Amino acid sequence: MKLSKYITRLAGILLLGACTKTDVPVENQLTPATFPTTDEQFILAAGPAYVGFRGSYCLAYWQSQTLSTDEAILPSRAGGWYDGGRYQQMHYHSWTPDNPIVGDTWTWGFSTISTCNQVLALFASSKDSPARTRAAAEIRTLRALLFYFMMDAYGNIPVPTTFGDTAKPVQKTRSEVFNFIESEVKSVLPLLGAATDATQYGRPNAYTAYALLARLYLNAEVYTGKPRYKDVVTYCDSVIRSGKYSLATDYAKMFYPDNGPQMTEFILAIPYDHASAQGEQFNWYSLHPALQKKYGLSYRLSNPVSTIPSYYAQFSDSADVRTTLWLTGKQYDFSGNPIVINTTKVGLDNTYTGSDAGTPVDYQLTFTPDVTLRDVDKFEVGGDELGKAKGIRNIKYYPDVTATDRNQSNDVPVFRYADILLMKAEAILRGATPTDNTTALSIVNQLRTARKATPLATLDLDAMLKERALELNWENTRRIDLIRFGKFEGSWGYKTDADPNKRIFPIPSGERVLNPGLIQNPGY
Amino acid sequence: MKKWLFIWIVLAANQGLYAQDSGKKATVRFRHANLRQAFAQLEKTYGLYFSYNENNLALYGKEIDFQLKDVTASQVLDKIFANSPLNWSFKGNLVVLTADPNYQKKPGSSHAVAETPADTITDTLYKAGADLGEVVVVGYGRQSRKLLTSAISTVQSSEFNKGNFNSPAQLLQGKVAGLTIARSGDPNGAPSIILRGPSTLRPGPAQEPFYVIDEVPGADIRLVSPDDISAIEVLKDASATAIYGTRASNGVIMITTKKARQAQTLVSVNNYASVEKVARKIRMMTAGQLKAYLARNSLALDPSDDQGANTDWQQAVTQTALSHNQHVSLSGGSNNLTYNASVNYFDSKGILRNTGLNRLIGRAGVEQRVLNNHLKLGISVSTAATNSYLLPDQPIILYNMLRYLPTVPVYKADGTYTENLQRVQYYNPVSLQNNAWQNLKNKTTLLNGTARLILPLGFKYDVNLTSQVGQDNSGTYYTSQYALKTGTNGQAYRSSYESSKKMIETFLTFARRRGDHDVNVLGGYSWQEDVTGDGFQASNQDFPTDALGYTNIGLGSPAGNYRNDWGVNQYQKLRLISFYTRAKYSYKDRYLLQLSLRRDASSAFGVNNRWATFPAASFAWRAIDESFLKYQSLFSDLKARISYGVTGNSLGFDPLISKVQYSSVGAFYYNGNFVNAIGPSQNANPDLKWEKTAMFNTGVELALLKGRIKAGIEYYNKLTSNLIWYYPVSTIRYFVSTYTANVGSISNKGFELTVDATPVKGASFQWATFLSLAHNDNKLVSLSNNIFKLDSIFEASPGGQGQTGSYVQIIKSGKPVGQFFTFSYAGKNAAGVSQFYDATGKITLAPRNFVDYHYAGNAQPKVQLSWGNNLAWKGFDCNIFVRAFLGARVMNATLADLNRPDEVTNYNLPVFSANESSRDISAYIYSNRYVENASYWRLDNITLGYTFSSFFKGMRSLRLYVAGNNLAIITRYRGIDPEVSLSGLTPPAGLTPGVDNKDYYPRTRAFLVGLDLDF
Repeated sequence: MKLSKYITRLAGILLLGACTKTDVPVENQLTPATFPTTDEQFILAAGPAYVGFRGSYCLAYWQSQTLSTDEAILPSRAGGWYDGGRYQQMHYHSWTPDNPIVGDTWTWGFSTISTCNQVLALFASSKDSPARTRAAAEIRTLRALLFYFMMDAYGNIPVPTTFGDTAKPVQKTRSEVFNFIESEVKSVLPLLGAATDATQYGRPNAYTAYALLARLYLNAEVYTGKPRYKDVVTYCDSVIRSGKYSLATDYAKMFYPDNGPQMTEFILAIPYDHASAQGEQFNWYSLHPALQKKYGLSYRLSNPVSTIPSYYAQFSDSADVRTTLWLTGKQYDFSGNPIVINTTKVGLDNTYTGSDAGTPVDYQLTFTPDVTLRDVDKFEVGGDELGKAKGIRNIKYYPDVTATDRNQSNDVPVFRYADILLMKAEAILRGATPTDNTTALSIVNQLRTARKATPLATLDLDAMLKERALELNWENTRRIDLIRFGKFEGSWGYKTDADPNKRIFPIPSGERVLNPGLIQNPGY
Repeated sequence: MKKWLFIWIVLAANQGLYAQDSGKKATVRFRHANLRQAFAQLEKTYGLYFSYNENNLALYGKEIDFQLKDVTASQVLDKIFANSPLNWSFKGNLVVLTADPNYQKKPGSSHAVAETPADTITDTLYKAGADLGEVVVVGYGRQSRKLLTSAISTVQSSEFNKGNFNSPAQLLQGKVAGLTIARSGDPNGAPSIILRGPSTLRPGPAQEPFYVIDEVPGADIRLVSPDDISAIEVLKDASATAIYGTRASNGVIMITTKKARQAQTLVSVNNYASVEKVARKIRMMTAGQLKAYLARNSLALDPSDDQGANTDWQQAVTQTALSHNQHVSLSGGSNNLTYNASVNYFDSKGILRNTGLNRLIGRAGVEQRVLNNHLKLGISVSTAATNSYLLPDQPIILYNMLRYLPTVPVYKADGTYTENLQRVQYYNPVSLQNNAWQNLKNKTTLLNGTARLILPLGFKYDVNLTSQVGQDNSGTYYTSQYALKTGTNGQAYRSSYESSKKMIETFLTFARRRGDHDVNVLGGYSWQEDVTGDGFQASNQDFPTDALGYTNIGLGSPAGNYRNDWGVNQYQKLRLISFYTRAKYSYKDRYLLQLSLRRDASSAFGVNNRWATFPAASFAWRAIDESFLKYQSLFSDLKARISYGVTGNSLGFDPLISKVQYSSVGAFYYNGNFVNAIGPSQNANPDLKWEKTAMFNTGVELALLKGRIKAGIEYYNKLTSNLIWYYPVSTIRYFVSTYTANVGSISNKGFELTVDATPVKGASFQWATFLSLAHNDNKLVSLSNNIFKLDSIFEASPGGQGQTGSYVQIIKSGKPVGQFFTFSYAGKNAAGVSQFYDATGKITLAPRNFVDYHYAGNAQPKVQLSWGNNLAWKGFDCNIFVRAFLGARVMNATLADLNRPDEVTNYNLPVFSANESSRDISAYIYSNRYVENASYWRLDNITLGYTFSSFFKGMRSLRLYVAGNNLAIITRYRGIDPEVSLSGLTPPAGLTPGVDNKDYYPRTRAFLVGLDLDF
């Protein structure tokens, strides 16, 4: 038909002139075509792994490792912090696969592992250079450390090592994961640097690898059933004999907001900054709002976390500098004036039933060791002033006056020289051959002397565990220490659960929805 | 309506030169014929052809019913067009029809052309629904309503809601069956709009309809002032919207502005002023009630909280808001040139002090016809300057105006604000309100050039070029006293972002009628490129004084390692390319068929799935024209329609969504400094593709008793598949825990009923009434695809104190969006403590998240009703409009979080809590106790007006009116207003309608006085 010809022709003219290009060049984002290509870019490209690592180390991970022990408790206070019972479950060992702390810890670990894999995949496709080799070895060490944390927390875990693998993840046994970590760390060891200064700070060096191996072997019996105490001594000695680390002259200053590469004990630390590198919020969790003025803080303190009386009872040596890093008893400001809260009789104690309930009371803030629950079901210590002041507070990571919000600048050690000494001492105490003319007791007393504590006359396992508590509180070691010493099934606070299945956390239910092939840990 | 007379080019009559009548004589006989039927007969009889703009045919309202013997074609045509708004002329054997610009209804003439010019229709009777004579705007063209094959609702300017509105969308609230519009009292709040149920899981733009303003697709709605609008069309079914392909899944709203007409200069002035007050408050305890409660429970306030005041904090932060609107327009034309211009200034104060909005809109347009009317050129420019006055932490102010203790005064004796920063999220709301401000200025300009060329053989070619440029400048300042920013000594943010939109639309139309066959074919191409977020933000702090606000940002001297907050990168560029075609065919104007096809590409999608095809087909049968209905008098119209089509949705996300993106993911320590780590911030999905909505629609339109009753019913069945969603993925395999993928499908089925009736139509008194009813059944069909399998996911976490990680809704296959899934309240125990049912039905005091949730109704209404009435008596007109929302539920998280009787010494309680025990430490827990029936009947509007006839020569009319908005509401809902956002929580994680979460900007009751003057 003539008509259709016309239409076709006109349409042709129309369409020929028509642009059909839908590729819009990417102008404002980096894409694989433009990044990374230079040595400096490799370092930046490795950065996300460290950002991820920093993320939950002091939050969900700290909560899983600490609130599950006698080291700390996070009860509901004044109606806040119940949050579906997540902290209550940590205390009672009644956590479920739905507990967000269990889930967040998993997500933190595996997303950081995934980021490590992605960084390594980027590196694999780029030009070889010494900088690339070093950066890749550091990332592999970091990844091994995260596999260690995940294996320690969840037992049988998948071990994904290539990025973009679409196969469903398969779980390995705890022993297999143990062996993988051991061989992985040993294989990257020769590629790692030995610098301990600012150029290396915050990223793994060879001593990080030694420390990780020492930690792995110290707990080998827990993970595989086979003790490896001799290897603990070997790798601790690799750190000690290097002479690159020494005990700090001032324990308290080691944890100040301005700590950093100059700290002689930090083997691997996570550098935090209140503005740039956030995620360390210990004081916001631990300190009472009435202390805000004393420490010159510009943000409101939240107050839920305290320790448990039986744990605090270990800090009995008043000469020990580590005892001073707790807030207890009546509180004063720096001029010695009492910190006073104006309230009423019933505001102070809401169980008060006298007819003069409304009579004003000036209450001096007093931290008491007990964390007696006023309402056991809701894990509530009470919203009155006495309730809010319950529990001894940790102030090891000294408040950061420069912070404008709850995030602080104190760097947090992952591996510390004191821990190396304690691990070596414990390994010897548990039967390893002493080296370098030391004994378990001499090493512990070396540490105690540095901390101005009275030296011990004898050392047994209980004293060993106690020493670790004195030294390493708020450093994510208590849970595995209690497990290794067989005390994780003990009773503290309101917790009486003695189920050994709780030595590993459940695979989070969210993860099992996404990967139905994952087998749940026994007892959940 | 009549205005369309002048818009379309018609082949002009050059009568002297070409006038020709063959002189052939014949006998003609018409029986209740319409124009087309008459033309068909004349074509046969005299060998003539007709050329006309089909819109003009609609102006001809009569039936042709006569018989003439031995007459020429001229005589027949004269007879047909006598006393009509149409002129005819010969051009060879072609009969050209034009509309008569000077036509005025002559006495005794019966057809339905408005007496006054169309620009200023003063006839305020309802004509919504199927006014079959009218012409409606469809995509890329116009069409007589009676020949439509798809579901399109028209709302004329005379039917618009009257009120203090910041968006034209509100003009439609309740006027279109199936279109749900909700808005709080926030002068800066955009209304949330959903057509025919939620058909996406993403909130925000992804669920809003697509706007076309004067044929410019995607134009900024702020550019048009309500007084400039002559009509709004809502394209509802897929056959109507598919021509807009990828952006049309949620319906298309087409706004048509008033246009100028030749030889008549029109000036109109529209002004109003309004007073607004808070319509409803949450009844919080007064100081007396609080103290009585405390005394009853042997409690007492801390001395610092007991200062003998009785502050009504809701009163303290709110005000009576005065707003006004001025609009002047001018239009006219001569010698084939028409022009129009208008200026609108709108100033709306918020009832929350220090909030408000003002906007200045200017529009101008010129159209010129050249080449003997074969070419029309048009150019128009619209510009809008909007100033928004915002409160940076408005949700916290709205929360604290409720719970701040009434026993303390706003100011202490020394003039400073009462403050107690020891409590969680507890801030003096008046201090927050006065110590931080944000001013957002937007300037948007749209330039549009059009050309339309009439080609031989029934072809017509259109080109439409558009450029829209927007500039957003924002300044925010927090004073040194701002309680949420202590220690910063004043903090300022400034930002400047530009956005632009470039569009080319070009299409060719062919229209031809031969005998009973009428064909109309359209083919077109469009290209569009949008750039948004082209700009930056800067910040500074530690200012020597608060006096200058953010105006001199360089004045701050921040301490230490302060980092400038550059904000997130917002730059986005998106390209959309489309080819489209549509064919209409009608036989005897009785059997109507329409097919359309659009092929769209969007650069947002993965390379594998950029292009997609969106087809639609529809059929209508005008039964009324069948011979067997000729001789009945019950029906004056009867038509049935059926349609099916597929549309897409690509709105609401980052154009680079399908690619791996590297961006700064945070800083890490490197050799003494914290440097930005560059890492992947998004998983790549090169297979990401269009969300697709397939919709079946069928409808019947009928008119009874000579049009005194008109009714329409629509049924639709809509299935959206390939839902784009932020799917949770395992971080074992992906580095980000969400993955943007096409998963699952969602279904909406429903019906809409509209009835228009004129029960009384006397000489001086008229009553017209309009009723619409809509019902929608929404269901999530699946959340899985061939790779991802998921049955359900928890949504909507209001995040109140002590309830972090507690969810109140579930998205689950087989359940509707907005399904409440929360704890089940089991009353109080003997000690007055709230109890709950656990998963097994046993009573527990400490319910566990996820495990112990129970279903608790859903947020979507079962029925939406609107009822409008228009009464006219002599010069008076009165409009009464009622809306109802039935069967919806709302999670009143506001009440839950306020109900903390055990914390009564720290936070005020609602009167609701008076009988709660102060020992109830679980009263606040989100449960079905707070899932409330949110059904309501609202007396939305009463307008009373009087129209004066001309006072002096040149003046055409003057109308004065008073109007009241939101005058009364009947509801059992305990919150501020049951009409909460349909979209969800902010920031939205997903689609979570029906959660009232402590940040509801109180709805207002408004009274307006207005004046419309026409010259």
